[in-house]
Amino acid sequence: MKITIDHLTKDFGSTIAVNDFSAVIESGELIALLGPSGCGKSTMLNMISGILPSSTGKIFFDEDDVTDVTPEKRGVGLVFQNYALYPHMTVLENIAFPLEIKKVKKEEREAKAKEMAKLVHVDMLLDRKPKQLSGGQQQRVAIARALIKNPRVLLLDEPLSNLDARLRIEMREEIRRIQQETQVTTIFVTHDQEEAMSISDHIVLMKDGFLQQVARPQELYDEPANCFVADFLGNPPINKTYGVVQNGAIVLDGGCVVELDAAKNLKEGHKVILSMRAESIVIDEGIKNAEGTVVETYVMGKEVLAYVSLGDYKVRAYIPAEKSFGKGQKVTVGLKKRGVFVFDAETGERLA
Amino acid sequence: MLDKIKYSLKHLTVGRVIIYIFLTLGAIVMFFPFYWMITGAFKTYFEVTAFPPVWWPSSFNLDNFVTAFNMAPFMTYFKNSVIAMVGSVGLCTFTTILASFAFSKLKFPGQHIIFGLLLGLMMVPFEMIIITNYRTIIDIKIYNTIFALIIPFTSSIFYTYILKGFFDSIPDSLYQAARVDGCSNWKYLWRIMVPIARPSLVTIILLNAIASWNSFMWPMLAVVDKDLRTLPFGLYAFVSEGGAETQLMMAASTIIVVPMIILFLFARKQIVNGVARGGLKG
Repeated sequence: MKITIDHLTKDFGSTIAVNDFSAVIESGELIALLGPSGCGKSTMLNMISGILPSSTGKIFFDEDDVTDVTPEKRGVGLVFQNYALYPHMTVLENIAFPLEIKKVKKEEREAKAKEMAKLVHVDMLLDRKPKQLSGGQQQRVAIARALIKNPRVLLLDEPLSNLDARLRIEMREEIRRIQQETQVTTIFVTHDQEEAMSISDHIVLMKDGFLQQVARPQELYDEPANCFVADFLGNPPINKTYGVVQNGAIVLDGGCVVELDAAKNLKEGHKVILSMRAESIVIDEGIKNAEGTVVETYVMGKEVLAYVSLGDYKVRAYIPAEKSFGKGQKVTVGLKKRGVFVFDAETGERLA
Repeated sequence: MLDKIKYSLKHLTVGRVIIYIFLTLGAIVMFFPFYWMITGAFKTYFEVTAFPPVWWPSSFNLDNFVTAFNMAPFMTYFKNSVIAMVGSVGLCTFTTILASFAFSKLKFPGQHIIFGLLLGLMMVPFEMIIITNYRTIIDIKIYNTIFALIIPFTSSIFYTYILKGFFDSIPDSLYQAARVDGCSNWKYLWRIMVPIARPSLVTIILLNAIASWNSFMWPMLAVVDKDLRTLPFGLYAFVSEGGAETQLMMAASTIIVVPMIILFLFARKQIVNGVARGGLKG
């Protein structure tokens, strides 16, 4: 099912959690709602589920306007961060509960619940109580309970944040598998970029209630729409430097001149941000965009992480392990086409 | 076994000895009235009144119980006590559940002010409410009926406060999850909240049952007919009407207390847990 969000706003009075948000989510996709803590992504999810009413704007499921439809009539399956399993019921009763509410006959709903349990691999735990399950198992049960009604959309609120690191990787692959088996449109909220990148079809990136960019994970990384997107994605964080366009080059604070083809089209005197990913910087490789000095090097094994000073800035760069640079050595710095961006220093908009 | 004793003796410090002495004294003080009552119920009139006191009855026969039962309709009193207890505890538990749910999980204007006012009312001693309650039962014409023993006790701020505290600790995500599943408030309350809150509810019911069983002042005021008396009131009347036959009084008292003692023995853990939890919340 396609979800269309049209100029949605949630105003809590003191804060505007979601601000004029418009996006289209295609049918059958796995979507990550990504952003730093407090950016309004959970609010967004709760508005899609119907738990929170929106202040203004509309939500469409396919062609149906569901803005004023109550949660139970929207046909959404919701998985909470703390799983919200009913502690006094067994796994089987928990999974079957949505059907119990719908007054489905006992044999029928138990058969369906067993089928769901099989899908999420908890079919050997049916008689246990939630307390007797591990976090990952509780998560699976919660997903099964959300899926049993054949929801039009599955919503997961920070589904992996309560799990330990190893389980997190396992569960995110599970979520991907379950989503692909059921083909249900799925939206999950996360603040973990790696989680979002690894399993989603599209990422919706938010900040302070505003939509920043909707794109495929690789596209989001390779073609950020603005400075925030570039900053938010990538590990180590992108190198961010401030400078001014002069004579078709960018002069960074501290006087370092960076020759850049992209800068040739920019207005003289324009204040810009030059952001470079660590893997896009090469040192003494025959490409010359600027000159710098090696400040520090850290051996990582397969490569070396070097800090190179460019004007007032120290930028991180990965260099091949077989090369060695001494501290204070002057080097030529080359920039690859990919992973080097110029943003407007004031608006953060992408210029090149 | 021997190791255990050795271990205990090794850790027997002066401080511990003092603590044990105090605990033992406390236990004796608590236990003695019960001992005196139960043995008294088997003594003859002369044994009960003898000085120096007779510690152990000469024979264990049920004569005193039979006599007491013949002198006053204790079975009727017992029946009235049970009806009043089941009626008031049942209704009170019901209203307590509804009120706690409303104050804990629903949102309505003036919620906090109303709850604050109710808590304030808890400070008003029962003896003061007696007068207004008395007027009320006369006005609604249930004076001297069994309903007079039930209706005034169909709600409780204290139990609402305890249960609300427990309901507050149930995460809202359960409520939202149930809502998304199409669960109504009503169904959510009875299918999810109440089963989760069962330990708290059991405590409330037990405390309320004990209070109802033991209540004396109100039944004495609210009914006059002999066949509407509850056990404590009946016992009082028995004493004043039957004269100072201590051994019969002891037998009657034993009859009243035994059901509560049995209840307490079975539900001791629940009561203590509930009171401890209520205390922490407060």
